[in-house]
Amino acid sequence: VRLADVQYADEDSAVIARLSGEIDMSNADSIRDAITDTTPNHALMLIVDLTDVDYLDSAGIQLLFRLEEDLRSRGQKLSIVIPAGSPANDSLTLAGVSRHVHTHETLDEARREQ
Amino acid sequence: MRNTDLEFREVAPRAGQIVLSPAAHYVVRPSQIRTLYQLSDPALSEMGLEEFLDELLLRVRDALAVDTVAILLYDEESQQLVARAAKGIEEEVEQGVRIPNGVGFAGRIAAERVAIFIADVDHADILNPILRQKGIRSLLGVPLIVEGDLIGVLHVGSLRPRVFGERDLAVLQVAAARAAPGIERARLFSALEHEHRVAILLQRSLLPKHLVDVAGLPTAARYLPASDEVGGDWYDLFELPRGRLGVAIGDVVGHGLRAAALMGQLRTALHAYALEEHGPARTLELLDRFVQAMPEQAMATAAYAVLDPDTAALRIASAGHLPPVLVGHGEARVVELPGAPPLGAFPYGSFEEREVSLGSGETVVFYTDGLVERPRVGLMESIEKFIAAVRGAASPDEICDLAVGALVPLEGGLRDDVAIVAVQHDEVPAALRLHLPADPRTLAQLRRTLRRWLHKLGVDRRTASEITLAVNEACANAIQHAYSPAPAEFDVHASASDGEVMIEVSDTGRWRSPRGQNRGRGLTIIDASMDEVSIESAETGTRVVMRRGIRR
Repeated sequence: VRLADVQYADEDSAVIARLSGEIDMSNADSIRDAITDTTPNHALMLIVDLTDVDYLDSAGIQLLFRLEEDLRSRGQKLSIVIPAGSPANDSLTLAGVSRHVHTHETLDEARREQ
Repeated sequence: MRNTDLEFREVAPRAGQIVLSPAAHYVVRPSQIRTLYQLSDPALSEMGLEEFLDELLLRVRDALAVDTVAILLYDEESQQLVARAAKGIEEEVEQGVRIPNGVGFAGRIAAERVAIFIADVDHADILNPILRQKGIRSLLGVPLIVEGDLIGVLHVGSLRPRVFGERDLAVLQVAAARAAPGIERARLFSALEHEHRVAILLQRSLLPKHLVDVAGLPTAARYLPASDEVGGDWYDLFELPRGRLGVAIGDVVGHGLRAAALMGQLRTALHAYALEEHGPARTLELLDRFVQAMPEQAMATAAYAVLDPDTAALRIASAGHLPPVLVGHGEARVVELPGAPPLGAFPYGSFEEREVSLGSGETVVFYTDGLVERPRVGLMESIEKFIAAVRGAASPDEICDLAVGALVPLEGGLRDDVAIVAVQHDEVPAALRLHLPADPRTLAQLRRTLRRWLHKLGVDRRTASEITLAVNEACANAIQHAYSPAPAEFDVHASASDGEVMIEVSDTGRWRSPRGQNRGRGLTIIDASMDEVSIESAETGTRVVMRRGIRR
């Protein structure tokens, strides 16, 4: 069984990648590659939704930063959905990077920012 | 003897062939045919085709005092006669001689349904080279007919020139008439036997070859096929997301190849729906819809359960299947489930779920009715017997062995197939001592083990997830240290005392300063999650000791 899954949705100018499961050093790189490859060049924004992620470690946090760099080099914007109290949010807090990552509470909130 | 099976017509003889007239009015000596009459003995037909033909040929050879005797069976698909058995000219069979229908000696007997006598092979159009090579001089052959259908040709041969008379023909026709139904029965029997073998093969190929080590839980399973017909029993054990375990069992109504094939479809469909994490009741509802959508009417009972090893919660749903049994601590009991119809029974079947909590060391056992249904014995009585037999068992394997020993008859075979699958919620040790390969893929398994251990200690969910996060980061460091080409390992020891947990992660690699922000974040996480952290690094390896107070 795969530790994590990614489901994509195409919405006008944004691509939504909804992650679920657990993200650690065993799968972070392949998830990053998969998302980067799946995001078309014409998309203005990628929304990564971590609402259903049960576990996110430092490799997972690194994935978010790398993804941001990947997209920036293509002139695309990364938007992250992490609700307060979610496991992913706890990880960001414990790693002390909450202030450096701009996140949204909900997918709708992320969409509105387009 | 019925000669109406044979249709005799005036046929123009070809070179060297003599088409014989009906032999019905020739009286055959009783001594000559006594053994031939026994060829329709039903016991003969149950010996299987090979043995039956062997017996038949020997009797015909003796009755007619000939040198060779052979049977060619008609293969409808290729429209050819295939040499199937022979005495005296065994090569004919070994070389798989095939004669097109309508051509040559045997082909013409078959196509025209006539008896043919060849006085001298040299002057006849014989297709089969082996007959010539073996020095056969004279031949006599008759068609084998069952209920108006031609099934083959029986022919005899002589090494010396011999004039087969009408009396010989009458004997051969008696043999043919007596043998033909036997051949057909034996052929049918062989075909059924073949189907049985195929069904067993299919059944076996569809069941799990070996039980995967799912979530590190002790499991066991048995499948015993019925003695005469394969049934549609199945079991399955699979891993689900978040380290949970799926356990399925089922029984397709019916027997044979179709039931075995249907079983394979249901097993696959259930696994696929289960992976979508619908939960037991919804999974059975989807499976029920799948069964309803099948072109042929099908019905099956099934039970599906999901075990969360972290919390020991077992959620079960059943579609008309027998209730599982819980075994542990010298006791065994039936888990009562809400009644529900089998899959495919009603257009809109709905299923309910029940949750039970498995105690430490407790095992849940699912089984099919083949285990407990016996003629003239009540079902409850059988289940009581089952419970009494397994209550003292300590492991899933022992439960399976005791159940089979107590309920499966030693002789006479099983009337129905039996499937058993057992999963134990094993004891969580007071302290963890893990020796793990330095492979990122072990991290997920480690976290599961740690969560179970913390759950057992009564640590609250939030604290547990913070400890898990910290230990994971320390282990990720250990895995990164293992940069040598040789397979490396690391150790995790965890213990609890005086309201705190102490976890030690040690490896034999040199400590390297965190490279880049990523590893730096890992250390930040460890520091933020634990109360006390110490890192000792030496030439021989690195040891990270972490402590965290727990509220119970």
